[in-house]
Amino acid sequence: MIAGYHPLVKQVLDGELSLADLPPELRAEAEEAVRLVQAADRAPVILSSAVEDRVMAVVRGHAASPARRAWRWINAPRDIELRLRVRPWVLWGGALAAAAVLALLLTRPTSSPGPETRVASRDSVLVRFVLYAPGARRVAVAGTFNQWDRSAAPLVPAGTSGVWTTTLALPVGQHQYAFVVDGERWVVDPGAPAVNDGFGRRNSLVAVTAHGTRAL
Amino acid sequence: MNRCSLLLRLIVLAVVPGALAGQDVAKQLDGRVSPDVRKAVVTIAADAAARGLPVAPLVEKAIEGGAKGVPADRVIAAVRTLAGRMGDAMSALRAAGVVAPSGDVVEGGADALNVGLTSSDVRDLVRVSRPPYDASLTLRVAATLVALGVPPDQALQLVNAMIKAGRSPGDLLTLPAEVQAGVGGGATPGQAAAGLARAAAAGRPPVPPGQAKTGKPVNPHRP
Amino acid sequence: MGLEAEASDADVVRAVLAGDVERYAVLVRRYRDRYARFATRMLGSRDIAEDAVQDALVRAYDRLADCRDPAKFAGWLFLILRNRCFAERRRRQRERPLSPVDDGVAAPDRPDGAYDQLERQRALEQSLGHLTAEQREVFVLKHVEGMAYEEIAQVTGATVASLKMRMHRAYDRLRDLMRGHQ
Repeated sequence: MIAGYHPLVKQVLDGELSLADLPPELRAEAEEAVRLVQAADRAPVILSSAVEDRVMAVVRGHAASPARRAWRWINAPRDIELRLRVRPWVLWGGALAAAAVLALLLTRPTSSPGPETRVASRDSVLVRFVLYAPGARRVAVAGTFNQWDRSAAPLVPAGTSGVWTTTLALPVGQHQYAFVVDGERWVVDPGAPAVNDGFGRRNSLVAVTAHGTRAL
Repeated sequence: MNRCSLLLRLIVLAVVPGALAGQDVAKQLDGRVSPDVRKAVVTIAADAAARGLPVAPLVEKAIEGGAKGVPADRVIAAVRTLAGRMGDAMSALRAAGVVAPSGDVVEGGADALNVGLTSSDVRDLVRVSRPPYDASLTLRVAATLVALGVPPDQALQLVNAMIKAGRSPGDLLTLPAEVQAGVGGGATPGQAAAGLARAAAAGRPPVPPGQAKTGKPVNPHRP
Repeated sequence: MGLEAEASDADVVRAVLAGDVERYAVLVRRYRDRYARFATRMLGSRDIAEDAVQDALVRAYDRLADCRDPAKFAGWLFLILRNRCFAERRRRQRERPLSPVDDGVAAPDRPDGAYDQLERQRALEQSLGHLTAEQREVFVLKHVEGMAYEEIAQVTGATVASLKMRMHRAYDRLRDLMRGHQ
């Protein structure tokens, strides 16, 4: 078993000392050590141009069925009209101010389905979040899955019906979340169970299972 | 200095779940909460860790308070309350005979206490959660049922009925959705839960009130 | 393409999370090669490194909602890749215990014991395979990627003191493994 390098030699390797700083008797050892370390291959590595195609093919597969279904739902005006017809109080709203929207969201029965889950990959599931907020200028969803960052997951309007939606890939497990309307109003999901957040407000719950079944 | 290493120098730590054990609490809170909150939570977290409680939920709660613009004293109070609840859950778990509860189970117990289930409820739920039933799952389902509006007693009754009937853990997980379906059909959460419990006890497949199929035969020639 | 080159990582991440899956290709193109050298030196093979980088990019897409700060996508992706490299190494060690370093690098007798740079490079590469994953990583980050200990500490979450200890053990181990090739 060969002896290890002298501590001063190691400091040269670490860049803390230069060869000139060493006593003469250590110079040879230091030069040997430097030669060893400099033998490392530092050439840049360029990967195959096919990497992008391969990755995107898989990524599209993960996004495929559930996201496409979601987009089809969003772009089908007939479906949305049916939803509006079922809830007459929505039609009376007209051009609703954000405050009025909140009142509606808090008082109407929980007949909306809440977040919908589909399998995305082995250990994350695509979850679709939906909020009806016709007077809102912007809507986001914030929760334990994105550190409650209100700009991380914006929702997009689905046509002109006042419905906002987004699809996120969430890991399996239980998550708390809430919608943020116009950057400052925190709103629970009327379609999901709610728990106290400890600050006098409520958070919504979504439990994501490995099988992608709709669960709360 | 080549470009690759220069770019790597711009990497700042981004926490990936599970990637870094023993993360520094203060570092996680930096820039997300006020210095007062950070200082207090570091202490609360250290104390919790010393008692074997999970620290991540405390950090998460503090960050949530910061994001929601909650005043510092209320954030600290909420984090302290959560730590206390996890401590109570830990005691209930030990009383149920769990020697070294995992973080998941402690969090599940804390969730159950948060919605209004008692320590004895938690203890009882854990006691009936022998394999294949996972205690953190049973606790989570019970807590979610109560969060949906099912009275605590009925939530417990339903979970117990399902376990007694030998239903799969997967069936337990879909209980909240079934209660919601029942509510959509016009039942109260309590009624929906009671109906499901009766069905489980009678060995029938779970069909919430208002959702019963009419039993009409399907015409195979219909387009 | 010009517009695409200007979109920040944060903007692209948000667009993808909002549903624009195709935009993810921007990040794939941007990061395909950035960590390729690190992965290659960690895994000892460009092909295996390519698999690891691909897997890391796919996993980063799947977990995109977990990226706590979209502006720090680069560092977050690096950590995913790093984990993937460690996992790959563990898998290979289970399947095939490492052969002694002298296999295939038998040194012809030379009077002065000197070797040309290429052979020494090959020998070092093989020796790196005999370090622990953590030792190999600190060596690659410092001596291939040129990072300072403080930066390595930030990226890996280890302290500077423990990194130096790891590295110094690595130096000694490498000296031992390379003794036929000095």
